[in-house]
Amino acid sequence: MTGMGGNAGAGGSGGPDDVTGVLGALVTSSVTAPAPAPDGPPQGIGASVQPVDAAAKTQGTFPYAADLWAEGLLWAAVLRSPHPHARIVSIDTATAAAMPGVHAVVTHADVPGDAAHGRRVADRPVFASDVVRHHGEPIAAVAADHPDTARLAAAAIAVEYEVLEPVTDPELAFSAEPLHPDGNLIRHIPLRFGDPEATGEVVVEGLYRIGRQDPAPIGAEAGLAVPRPDGGVEIYCASTDPHTDRDLAAACFALEPERVKIVVTGVPGAMGDREDSGVQLPLGLLALRTGHPVKLAATREESFLSHAHRHPTLLRYRHHADAEGKLVKVEAQILMDAGAYADSSSDALAAAVAFACGPYVVPHAFVEGWAVRTNNPPSGHVRGEGALQVCAAYEGQMDKLAARLGIDPAELRMRNIMATGDILPTGQTVTCPAPVAELLAAVRDYPLPALPKDDPEEEWLLPGGLEGAGEPGAVRRGVGYGVGMVHMLGAEGADEVSTATVKVSGSVATVICAAVETGQGFSTLARQIVQEVLGITDVYVAPVDTDQPPCGPAAHGRHTWVSGGAVERAARMVRTQLLQPLAAQFGMSTELLTIADGKITSYDGVLSTTVAEALDGKELWATAQCRPHPTEPLDETGQGDAFVGIAFCAVRAVVDVDVELGSVRVVEMAVAQDVGRVLNPAQAHARIEAGITQGLGAALTENLRTSSGQVRRPDFSGYALPTSLDAPDIRIVKLVEERDVVAPFGAKAISAVPVVTSPAAIASAVRAATGRPVNRLPIRPQAAVAVAVAQGG
Amino acid sequence: MTLPGSLDEAVAALAAMPAAVPVAGGTDLMAAVNSGLLRPAALVGLGRISEIRGWQYQDGHALLGAGLTHARMGRPDFAALIPALAAAARAAGPPQIRNAGTLGGNIASAAPTGDALPVLAALEASLVIAGPGGRREIPVGRLLAGIELLHPGELIGYVRVPLLHAPQTFLKATGRTGPGRATASVAVVLDPARRMVRCAVGAVAPMPLRPYDAEHWVASLIDWDGERTLAPEALTAFGDYVAAACIPDPPPVPQGADDGTGLAVQAPGEGTLPPAVLHLRRTVATLARRALGRALA
Repeated sequence: MTGMGGNAGAGGSGGPDDVTGVLGALVTSSVTAPAPAPDGPPQGIGASVQPVDAAAKTQGTFPYAADLWAEGLLWAAVLRSPHPHARIVSIDTATAAAMPGVHAVVTHADVPGDAAHGRRVADRPVFASDVVRHHGEPIAAVAADHPDTARLAAAAIAVEYEVLEPVTDPELAFSAEPLHPDGNLIRHIPLRFGDPEATGEVVVEGLYRIGRQDPAPIGAEAGLAVPRPDGGVEIYCASTDPHTDRDLAAACFALEPERVKIVVTGVPGAMGDREDSGVQLPLGLLALRTGHPVKLAATREESFLSHAHRHPTLLRYRHHADAEGKLVKVEAQILMDAGAYADSSSDALAAAVAFACGPYVVPHAFVEGWAVRTNNPPSGHVRGEGALQVCAAYEGQMDKLAARLGIDPAELRMRNIMATGDILPTGQTVTCPAPVAELLAAVRDYPLPALPKDDPEEEWLLPGGLEGAGEPGAVRRGVGYGVGMVHMLGAEGADEVSTATVKVSGSVATVICAAVETGQGFSTLARQIVQEVLGITDVYVAPVDTDQPPCGPAAHGRHTWVSGGAVERAARMVRTQLLQPLAAQFGMSTELLTIADGKITSYDGVLSTTVAEALDGKELWATAQCRPHPTEPLDETGQGDAFVGIAFCAVRAVVDVDVELGSVRVVEMAVAQDVGRVLNPAQAHARIEAGITQGLGAALTENLRTSSGQVRRPDFSGYALPTSLDAPDIRIVKLVEERDVVAPFGAKAISAVPVVTSPAAIASAVRAATGRPVNRLPIRPQAAVAVAVAQGG
Repeated sequence: MTLPGSLDEAVAALAAMPAAVPVAGGTDLMAAVNSGLLRPAALVGLGRISEIRGWQYQDGHALLGAGLTHARMGRPDFAALIPALAAAARAAGPPQIRNAGTLGGNIASAAPTGDALPVLAALEASLVIAGPGGRREIPVGRLLAGIELLHPGELIGYVRVPLLHAPQTFLKATGRTGPGRATASVAVVLDPARRMVRCAVGAVAPMPLRPYDAEHWVASLIDWDGERTLAPEALTAFGDYVAAACIPDPPPVPQGADDGTGLAVQAPGEGTLPPAVLHLRRTVATLARRALGRALA
């Protein structure tokens, strides 16, 4: 799934308009938004404020990193390993370095600083030195005066490999020779909660496999590194976590962090940790070595090979329940394939283990989770990591249990559903709003889409598409449910602080905050917050670089919470500075003054002035921080208050399956989501639609295939992303606005949880349509052929 | 880059610069150029040759210009002429690709998943090749099979397709609802004058496959002077016949060469194929059954 901006609009919704549907809500933006100010565009919290760069991004004039240019520019190319596992016997760069036009060739021997780096664990070399551990691992890089020269020179580097047997089955990683000095086991969590002897009257078991989804951003990785006169380097790229990337780069270059600056250029799609260190680090090294600006724009193939993917996961479950369907005990084993390096696999495993039972009340839970090292493509942070994989599995189990007991699947879920005050298997009490029953009821009771039988037959959109081979007689409709949860903010003791500065000068307010706008809508939200607090319409959000104070990664809905909170506090401090002299002059408290439309008025109407007059040519600055309440790591039995907050979502999928061909068309996805508070209705709808569509990709088509560790077909004809014609009608049935008191504005993160939940709902619907177990994502056509057809041959 | 205005000029341009690559819609070629796989020394653009962007009638045949776009072939007037080719053109990729991609390009790139190819094979179309030595005509199947090749400086000018005035169908299975490459496709063409059914299966092999035995067998069952219908069992049998012909069983393991466990070697049958191949065979069978059923309905 690719998404470019928060203004993705109604692109995901392809069907006929419907008054309750998303199109209607987006066009009028009137469902929850207050009426816009009569004399201008909507502004403030709760309004559908448009992103300022929407037009430039949709028209293709927005300058991304791949569009940058500098005087004396050199082009970089990276030589990547063709083998998933090999010992490097020798690297000969002489031929490449002697080629005309080549300015520098760098290998592991040219890395001045730390040999290894990594976002969480420093276990990844900048360039492979002795061993390559995955297909596409960087080995050397070249800077030359033309991109073709650079590519040819990279190809001319002679590397002698001793090819080794790759470890590609995560189950064999335990017994295999260590692939890395750190060993093959990255993390093991044996969660124990309750009584291991407890048993239920009914037991269902299942084995589930989740494939490797790629974040596939619309713009591939690109960057420009410019050497600085002080011996440092500036890197222009689409980093989503600039300060962490800067610290990694500085350590590798053996420079002080202050001498490395990362400038964020605009993010062409991010579904996870966007930028690949295999681009930034070679770029910086080459710029430092040559003294020239160096640019690299990765090809789509390089992009697929290098950045982090969703963890392929193998899950084994056993659910115990009583005769009424109440869950007694859940036993699970979760094996996540981390690829060659640890990256954020330990966080993904914590989420998978903690949410292994789903948003259900489970008195006894025994979950064993492992993240292991293999020679497969690297895995890391992709939206909803860990939570997506287990959601597909525990919802499969709930379907199985419902079938065994003869209970309606939605009713079985309802009998076990979690509410505020219930306890997670980690021992953490769910203190935030958890209106899960309300969400499930909303999607369950929403009217089902009509069968097309009243329309002319040639207009039916059957599985396989408009000109496909679908035959009405072979099509079965299925309805399935998914209920999912995902944590917000970093977990297990991560310091989730963010810092923001607000400046007011004249009639313009400026926000300086290093929270990256990745398409999640943060820059629009920052404008809305300042408009709300200071009543100033004209708000400018400054571009992000690492000279600003750190704000942490754009992940897990952090920025809406912590960076939004920091902007609000800073704006309130400016407000106090602005109003204090006035209040003192009139002998009233600042709380009695209001700012709206650039005017300051007192409660009794006696005082009325404008913001510009009150400022009197002065500039007001304030900087504030927001730090949520601390969390703690999961202990050796998987217990601990590890999460700041949890967001929930219920999805009902309606699918049509051609049970002879196994082709699936998702007809409609009905979503109800726990959002805390809607801050921007248009963006909220767009984010949910984008999330559902990404989930649809994980459910049906997206799987980066490998054979013996080699990535097969790393391009968009081999890796099928959903297009607008694949996207179903998305009905946002209900947004439950139960404010989370600890969150700024009471708002919860909304992007990740539809991604987590929709694959489970689609699998459940295909199960209902075909009677097949559907225990593998993405769902292969042969798994969606109805039982009778499959047996009949 | 040259932009000739006629086929003869294009041939002359290619003769003048043998390293030049002809480009029509560019939907395959430019993708290869952009990804750095191809660096043509020069391009001969065929977009301005108006004589190959339409069609004409010639003694019971349509002479289709190689520059016909998929979008043009998908329109109703073309569909009335050659319904299966129109269906294949409508199924070929998203609108942007159909607007640019051409019939000749589909043949020249000869991708196994090319949607027009099984239809042309089933129609037994022939290609009019323009070259420095004049024009020659070769059956499309011989070019796709590599029995005949395009010589340097030659271009596909026209495609000669018989007008059969009988139902034709093209069905395609993809892994998705939106436009995608075929996992398997089947074209079925009825030829009442010669009392023949012609069928071609695309995407399962490097070239379209013709199951001749299945065609002859099913044509013998059809009452050509009467209702032209078949029993559902016959349609199913046709589908299975086509599928087994296109995706054959692996050769049986010779007796005595088993793995030493002493167990009897499994009898040849579907059980010996991997599940994904079995599914592909089932898909072909279903498509062929449905395609013939719709042609006879």
